[in-house]
Amino acid sequence: MVKTRRVWYPFFLLVRHPVAIVLVGLVVLFSLLYPQRFLTTLNLTTILKQFVTLVLFALGPSMVVVTGSLDLSYVGIWMLGGVLVWLLTPVLGLFAICVFPLLGLGTGFLVGVVHARGKVPSFILTLCLLVVYWGLTAALSGGYSRTVKGYEFITASLVPYIPTAFLWSLPLIGAAIYLMVRTRVGLYLYAIGSNEEGAKLAGIPVEKYKILAFTLSGLFTGLGTIVLFQHLGGSVPVELNLKNVVWPLVAIVLGGTPLVGGSGGPQRTLLGALTFSVFYRGLYLSLLHPEILQLLVGILLIVSIVVGARGLRGVEIT
Amino acid sequence: MVATFSWEWMKRNAGTLWPLLVACVIILGFQAVNPTFLKYEGLVTLVYAMSYFLIAACGLTFVIMMGSFDFSVPSVLKLAALFCVMYIEKLGFWAIPFALLVSTGLGLLNGVLLAYLNVPSFMATLGVSIVVEGIGLYLSKGFLHIMYNERFRALATTFIFGLPSIFYWAMGIWALCTFVALCTPFGRRTYAIGGNLTAARLSGINVERQRVYVFALSGFLAGLSGILYMAQLGGGSMLIGSDMSIPLFASVVAGGTALSGGMGGPHRTLLGVIIITWIQSGMLMLALGRDIQMVIFGLIAVGVAIATMDRKRIRVVK
Repeated sequence: MVKTRRVWYPFFLLVRHPVAIVLVGLVVLFSLLYPQRFLTTLNLTTILKQFVTLVLFALGPSMVVVTGSLDLSYVGIWMLGGVLVWLLTPVLGLFAICVFPLLGLGTGFLVGVVHARGKVPSFILTLCLLVVYWGLTAALSGGYSRTVKGYEFITASLVPYIPTAFLWSLPLIGAAIYLMVRTRVGLYLYAIGSNEEGAKLAGIPVEKYKILAFTLSGLFTGLGTIVLFQHLGGSVPVELNLKNVVWPLVAIVLGGTPLVGGSGGPQRTLLGALTFSVFYRGLYLSLLHPEILQLLVGILLIVSIVVGARGLRGVEIT
Repeated sequence: MVATFSWEWMKRNAGTLWPLLVACVIILGFQAVNPTFLKYEGLVTLVYAMSYFLIAACGLTFVIMMGSFDFSVPSVLKLAALFCVMYIEKLGFWAIPFALLVSTGLGLLNGVLLAYLNVPSFMATLGVSIVVEGIGLYLSKGFLHIMYNERFRALATTFIFGLPSIFYWAMGIWALCTFVALCTPFGRRTYAIGGNLTAARLSGINVERQRVYVFALSGFLAGLSGILYMAQLGGGSMLIGSDMSIPLFASVVAGGTALSGGMGGPHRTLLGVIIITWIQSGMLMLALGRDIQMVIFGLIAVGVAIATMDRKRIRVVK
């Protein structure tokens, strides 16, 4: 029998979520550094806005990361979907926004099938798909960023100081967390992430659940981008910005989902996204050069993966 | 000699024959569309497009052979090129070894992150490439820099026997890499790690050290490629090599170095580079836009990744 030791619960929580310490530390640090600017409603609203962006991009992929794979196609879904909405609005009217979830669902299913059956490493597959979508976006839009009007009601202000996009994201977040924590699907995805061979031997149809994971990721990204499309200005860029791809990844990894999978999940991503938003906003207030900010984000990504990968032994990492 | 060309022989050497066949078809196909291709001027243009690409691809080949992935090659190439153009006046020719040192150091950093800190290589190199882009942007301030040093430019643009010297550089590097991969313990160790990591470790290979060396080699070759590319171009900004990552990956894999690792090699990469640069030049000739090129390259990359993957040997793909 292993003797269990009772640990003071908040302490236990901090050990399991070291990023919580970082979050508290950052808030204290920035509040002390910029007493006039950091703890203002304007700044907190901005943090919340960025938090929403990160969370809606990162929710789906964090389910895939739980299985140990990686899904980078979210920015592609957003960009191509935005252009398709622009193309289809004259035909379908406001229903054109339905393109987002459909495109997400289709993309996720396609990626899942090719990854599971073709055995192509998911990061390279989704990276190539991202580039294909970017090319299609630029080709379809004719090289200009196209603005679509008529969806302003999605982000119309409801509650003062709280962005409406945040309210929209709550049901999605709830659904994602419920799916991962309380259902069999979530359990199986964690099992696949922690040991795929073992999951196969235990009788889990691994291929099917991997396809499901990618499909869910695409669907959640698709639903999230409905809100994000308007939240980010009602138009999409035609240039692929690596920043948009990397930030949600930073949120996932910073939250404590290790890239080899098996633990973490969407609930951790919330914490990661919040910490990243506070970190970025604090640096933004410090008036550093944007290049330096980018550099610091890269370092943050590496450091958080290193911290997240601590204590991994016996796992083959390529 | 009849037996050499039997069905069995073709099956055994399918990995070499397929790229060769595809290369012939592509070359003849574009030749049929535009007969100026195989004339002297067309060949010089192709050699210019191919040479720097081949050097960078050789480094990436070693990494993929080992079963890892290096996302940072285009960024390191860019940094080395910018470094040369900005500091050649201040440092003289010392700028070249310094740029090589920096790029090798970045490769070393990738290797250490993978081997000793358990960070999956695509993620580590993604993080490093973000940092490198930040440094490059900070150094260059986003401006276009022109190379005025004619002696430096002569490194790549001197014509020897009717072909620019960068061609001989590339061929020399390629021959050296092929020799290292096929005829030295270093190469055998790299293949062994790609073939089976655990078996390589059990047979006494210092896997960690080898991984660091291979990533350092990749960084070094990326840096060298960047320096020669800058000598060839005679100036550049942050946009150097920005669309390179997918074609580069596609050319390595199209040659027959599968993502599953342990097979292929730099000798195969030559064919892959010929295929990809020929397609690229052909698309330019057909006046296809950059967006359509991206779509086609993305699809090619996914296609060759699926086609070359060794599905019998690998059990788990993330």
